[in-house]
Amino acid sequence: MDPETRVPIGHEVDIVTARQKGRELAAKGGFSRTEQTLIATAISEVARNIVEYAVRGEIALSAIERDGRLGIMVIARDIGPGIPDLELAMRDGYSTGKSLGMGLPGAKRLMDEFVLLSVPGEGTTVTMKKWAR
Amino acid sequence: MPIATRSGRSAELFSHEMEITEEEVNRRKAFLEFHKEDADALRGLNEVAQQYADPVIEDLYRHFLSFDETRAFFADPKVLDRVKRMQKEYFLRLTEGEYGGDYVADRLRIGTVHEHINLAPKWYLGAYNFYLRAVGTRLLEVMSKDPHRAFSTFLSLMKLVFMDIGLAVDTYIYARELTMRKQQEAIRELSTPVLQIRDRLLLLPIIGVIDSQRAQMITEGLLRAIRANRAKVVVMDITGVATIDSKVANHLLQTVSAARLMGAFVIVTGLSSEVAQSLVQLGIDLNRLNTVGDLQGGIEEGERLLGYRLVHEGEAGGTRPA
Amino acid sequence: MAVPILKQGDVLIASIQAALSDRDLDLFKDELADRVGRFRARGVVIDVTALDVLDSFATRTIRSIAHTARLRGAETIVVGIQPEVAIAMVQLGLSLEGVSTALDLEEGLALLRPRTGGGSRLGP
Repeated sequence: MDPETRVPIGHEVDIVTARQKGRELAAKGGFSRTEQTLIATAISEVARNIVEYAVRGEIALSAIERDGRLGIMVIARDIGPGIPDLELAMRDGYSTGKSLGMGLPGAKRLMDEFVLLSVPGEGTTVTMKKWAR
Repeated sequence: MPIATRSGRSAELFSHEMEITEEEVNRRKAFLEFHKEDADALRGLNEVAQQYADPVIEDLYRHFLSFDETRAFFADPKVLDRVKRMQKEYFLRLTEGEYGGDYVADRLRIGTVHEHINLAPKWYLGAYNFYLRAVGTRLLEVMSKDPHRAFSTFLSLMKLVFMDIGLAVDTYIYARELTMRKQQEAIRELSTPVLQIRDRLLLLPIIGVIDSQRAQMITEGLLRAIRANRAKVVVMDITGVATIDSKVANHLLQTVSAARLMGAFVIVTGLSSEVAQSLVQLGIDLNRLNTVGDLQGGIEEGERLLGYRLVHEGEAGGTRPA
Repeated sequence: MAVPILKQGDVLIASIQAALSDRDLDLFKDELADRVGRFRARGVVIDVTALDVLDSFATRTIRSIAHTARLRGAETIVVGIQPEVAIAMVQLGLSLEGVSTALDLEEGLALLRPRTGGGSRLGP
């Protein structure tokens, strides 16, 4: 099992770190330049979400494999207030912060798999995966 | 598990993709009735094997070199030397008594090498056959006092060899399929060429089925062409697109938007009014699309936008001087 | 300052060299707005060739810059968006609506040159 890379997200400068590490891991996994950019952009969006809505959190990156295909898994965890209305948050354009409200639904479009788990008062976990073609 | 790069797949990855698990190997052994007694018999043969290894290898390669098709693989004497050494190791492994995961991985590698160098199974099988006959003869010599034992040992060897062949051939087939899939992908890429029809003017004829993977490939190809040709106008003809449902329409809209981000103006041609109507009804916003009925009209519009003007010879100016 | 801003006639050229933090982007936005006013710039070219990601915040910042510049009489052109970045942006659903784009600095400056009849009809 490959080691996981964890990037603590506490400040907006961590967003760039997280996406750069994501790009590196994606490159090693054989993803094309375009796919690397899609992954880095998705990481940027979910990391920004943590910075804006949560106290702090972390992004965990790991190489994964299924049926012989290589992929990357991004888990964005935070201990923020949680998302009270998931449906609303996943709607394009919804935002109470700096971003355009594209964070979550946008990241979902860029990745192959996307699971959002949020407990109001406890925090949010976004698990995203992308598979190399 | 090591991460394999695109250019080279590790044998571990192969065995995993092909699902040659420990369980699978055990099933194969069970089917061949290869049991502990066989492994023991072969291990007992190891000393003899060490003795006959060199002469058998020499005979084998003399055989290869006497046939044009197989001689071709050993034109370089350095290659021949190396291969002989590897072959000897390979054959000695047959009698080392260890036939688990490592052994299997090693055998799988051979199949991929054969596919890579284009050594067809018939030569490989012929070579194995030669080896078996050579060993069989020597076995009988060494165990002349106990021909039954020689035969049963030979049978054990045959079981193992057949498992080897099975693994190598399966890997060969699998590697072939991978190569074919890569070729198909290359063909798919070629099937959506981007043509420069004038300075700064590109034509992108889209034909066939558009799924999300192809859409991304088409977009990548177009954007790279825009950059390489410094194109300012793209005529995207969709007459040949198989079905245009809302998903395909969104792919196409994204391609147009992406081209726009790189400073290129896109004219879409070949969108029939029926298709346009059904898309609008599906809620697709076609307002941002610049559509022109047919390809000819689209190209002319593109030329016009770039400042080209079509002048027909003989128009203004009357006859030309003789 | 994170982003060097050059003046070429009445056009300001800003080349973003590397990934900027949010704070850097905000400072850049303010600096640019200030200079547009001070130099009465007619045009602003933002070169993002070196950026490997343009996320929602960066895009919003660029739109904001363009809006402010327009209020002060200047047109903004973004140049140098790379193919991979463009694809990520459209898949993310980001649009640079209202902001002109061009392939590179050369094309961007050409767009800003005053047009004299004939020639290309393509403009922002």
